[in-house]
Amino acid sequence: MKPGRAILALAAAAVLAGVPWYGSDVLVQFGINTLLLAVLAQGWNIIGGYAGYASFGNSVFYGLGSYGVAIAMVQWELPFAAGLALGAALAVAFALLLGMPVLRLRGHYFAIATLALAQVMTAIVSNVELAGQNIGLVLPPLNNDPLFYELSLGLLVLATLTVAWLTRSKFGFGLIAIRENEEGAAVMGVNTTLYKVAAFALSGVFSALAGGIHAYWITFLDPESAFDISLNVKMIIMAVFGGAGTLLGPVVGAFSLSAISELLSSEITSAAGLFFGAVIVAAVVLMPRGLADLLRRYRKSGWRYFIENIRAHRL
Amino acid sequence: MSAILEIRNVTRRFAGLVAVNQVSFTLAEGEILGLIGPNGAGKTTLVSLISGTLAPTQGEILYQGKPIGDLPAYRRARLGIGRTFQIMRPFPGLSVLDNVAVGALFGRGGGQPDLSKAREQARACLDFVGLGRAAGQRAEELGGPGRKRLELAKALAMQPQVLLCDEVMAGLNLVEIDEVIDVIRKVRASGISVLVIEHVIKAIKSLSDRLLVLHHGEKIADGAPDEVLANAEVVQAYLGRRRA
Amino acid sequence: MDLLAQILVNGILLGGLYAVMAQGLALVWGVLNIVNLAHGAFIMLGAYASWYLYTDLGVDPFLGLPATAAALFALGYVLQRGLLNLVVRAPMFNTLLITFGLEVVLTYLAQLAFSADFRTINPPYAGDSYALGPVTLPVARLAAFGVALALTLAMWLFLLHSRLGRAIRATAQNLVAARLYGVEPRHLYAVTFGLGLALAGAAGGLYGTVSQVNPYIGATLTAKCFAISIIGGLDNPLGVMVGGLFLGIVESLTTLYVGPTFADVASFGILVLVLFLRPSGLLGRAA
Repeated sequence: MKPGRAILALAAAAVLAGVPWYGSDVLVQFGINTLLLAVLAQGWNIIGGYAGYASFGNSVFYGLGSYGVAIAMVQWELPFAAGLALGAALAVAFALLLGMPVLRLRGHYFAIATLALAQVMTAIVSNVELAGQNIGLVLPPLNNDPLFYELSLGLLVLATLTVAWLTRSKFGFGLIAIRENEEGAAVMGVNTTLYKVAAFALSGVFSALAGGIHAYWITFLDPESAFDISLNVKMIIMAVFGGAGTLLGPVVGAFSLSAISELLSSEITSAAGLFFGAVIVAAVVLMPRGLADLLRRYRKSGWRYFIENIRAHRL
Repeated sequence: MSAILEIRNVTRRFAGLVAVNQVSFTLAEGEILGLIGPNGAGKTTLVSLISGTLAPTQGEILYQGKPIGDLPAYRRARLGIGRTFQIMRPFPGLSVLDNVAVGALFGRGGGQPDLSKAREQARACLDFVGLGRAAGQRAEELGGPGRKRLELAKALAMQPQVLLCDEVMAGLNLVEIDEVIDVIRKVRASGISVLVIEHVIKAIKSLSDRLLVLHHGEKIADGAPDEVLANAEVVQAYLGRRRA
Repeated sequence: MDLLAQILVNGILLGGLYAVMAQGLALVWGVLNIVNLAHGAFIMLGAYASWYLYTDLGVDPFLGLPATAAALFALGYVLQRGLLNLVVRAPMFNTLLITFGLEVVLTYLAQLAFSADFRTINPPYAGDSYALGPVTLPVARLAAFGVALALTLAMWLFLLHSRLGRAIRATAQNLVAARLYGVEPRHLYAVTFGLGLALAGAAGGLYGTVSQVNPYIGATLTAKCFAISIIGGLDNPLGVMVGGLFLGIVESLTTLYVGPTFADVASFGILVLVLFLRPSGLLGRAA
């Protein structure tokens, strides 16, 4: 990374870290939500953006992380850190067990399989007693938003650093090769199965940790909300809007879309939904490769960027 | 010279179509073996069987004396089998240099774990095939001839001991074909055994030590280029039966 | 034993309805390679259209189906021609995203227009039923099943045996060749998508007679249609019918013998199994 950019990033991180001191309580809460969404988007970026496998199953990892923390703290009276570790371990186990068959599927079949798995998990967890079944679990309260905020920020930094490592490591190159031409990658010596499962697990760990922090923060979870599919859709849209397969795209996407959504819901209450949908539709048509690509090419092509995108993709 | 690659009675069926039928031959170490045949003869299928993209329905494939028919493609790459693709598919999101670097990262013996060293090796391979100037370009910006060389460079970066070239001369003009012939000769000189699939008969005749001819999935000739090309059955396969 | 028979019959009747719901999705997916995440929302629109025809104009929901179907055909044609044709050659993921965006917009607009109340279409014969031995057949469900069967058969005849149907399939398989033959792909694609939505609309009208409707039913219905399309197969309308019947029966049996919350586990679990057990890659499919 160029030194100028690195300094900018550090400055941004410092500014963000300071929010609990100079920001209002509402801002801190908004911050926690947004930061966790950014973590989810960045985590998804690993399997969806770099490896090219659009996973709809990250909400499962999120749910496993939430329940890991909840069960550890409520049923076994373990500390939060242990709960996070449990959640992460569950995520890795899930990725290893189900990752192999699921990752054999190509394209949208993979997406659908992960979607179906998410539904199945919700129903299964609703019936597990340890997890509080349908009613869910209530965690011990901890009234310390700034702590949760810094934890979330820390997790986002960790996730982003991981993606940065990807872009300059053998593992990352392997993933990119898989995304661009999986058969070609195999023929060149990439163990595609191992790499895909590893990417899936890594992506899952971040989702799980985010879920764990979120669960402890709001002190309550139930199967419906923990494995909520719309969360997965949100993280995908944010990652893609910002630019899947780029370093900061998902973060920018998460921040910008959250901010816009928040602004709208205070100005024109329920129009947020309408706006969101319209933005997605417009973005897919005009800037399918996300903000990152838009910012890069706009300097060269100006308005023609949008027209070129349409021309390239229309019938 | 010992055989580095041995194909024994290999057959590949696709739900009713027999693409490769009981084909047997050897590739000797340090040899350039040409593989020719009309379109649809099964040449690319054969290469896919050797590189591991497809599994044989029957028969054995031996590499350095050991059977590899059950190994997945990436294991065969790590043993030292490299191939180029007839329909070139570079990694579009990456630069030319990085495309080749993938080969260096993952090739024989599991490749190189260090990205900067891999890039150095990639640069050397690009120079070897004559693409040194294009290192920084995006792979999709390369024209046809450039892409053919990129395919070669990618495969070479893997440090293979056997290189399978699938129509690296298609669509090139005479000057470019001569250049590719030189590169392949250089490849052989560096110790790599080469199997070349080609349609440009004149080129492959001058390049190959031996020629192998496939027709309808079966081997119909195997020997010195002059003999093979004079073989009546081979002529008939390409030109059809004499009517007069 | 009687209970089992009743459950099976319920399952079959339900399954037929499910099948016709999925037909439109399978058609558009298998032929145009467009994965329509908003499909359920269009079913919902069809249900509302039928509801309004019945409540405001007194048109019997079954007789009003052609009108509902025609309205949704028009909507589909315009949507494809004006919007979706713009992303057809992009990576498939883009159609997933854009249809998702549509789903969000449609659900919101529906909620605005129709409010969140539950509605049902209750024609006078809604409560009647026939008795067939130990089994009770509610009239509305039976009629819905009948129409569903008829539509499936019509789809099968159309796609596989009519000129326009073959033209549609040919265009999807080879765009360049189709153009050379003078086929206008944009129009054909729009017609196909219109057909897919017309089927969704008709299914919605039928759905409204047997179940409650509100603006949010879209997402669950889409998920079910996915399951059916994959289990049954995308290429043949009869396959979708089999998938629908299968799902209907599985859901009914699971609800009875295991519990209502497990109906979803069963359907999606089977979907996952089907995806796992088929040969990897599934590249042979038109999708």
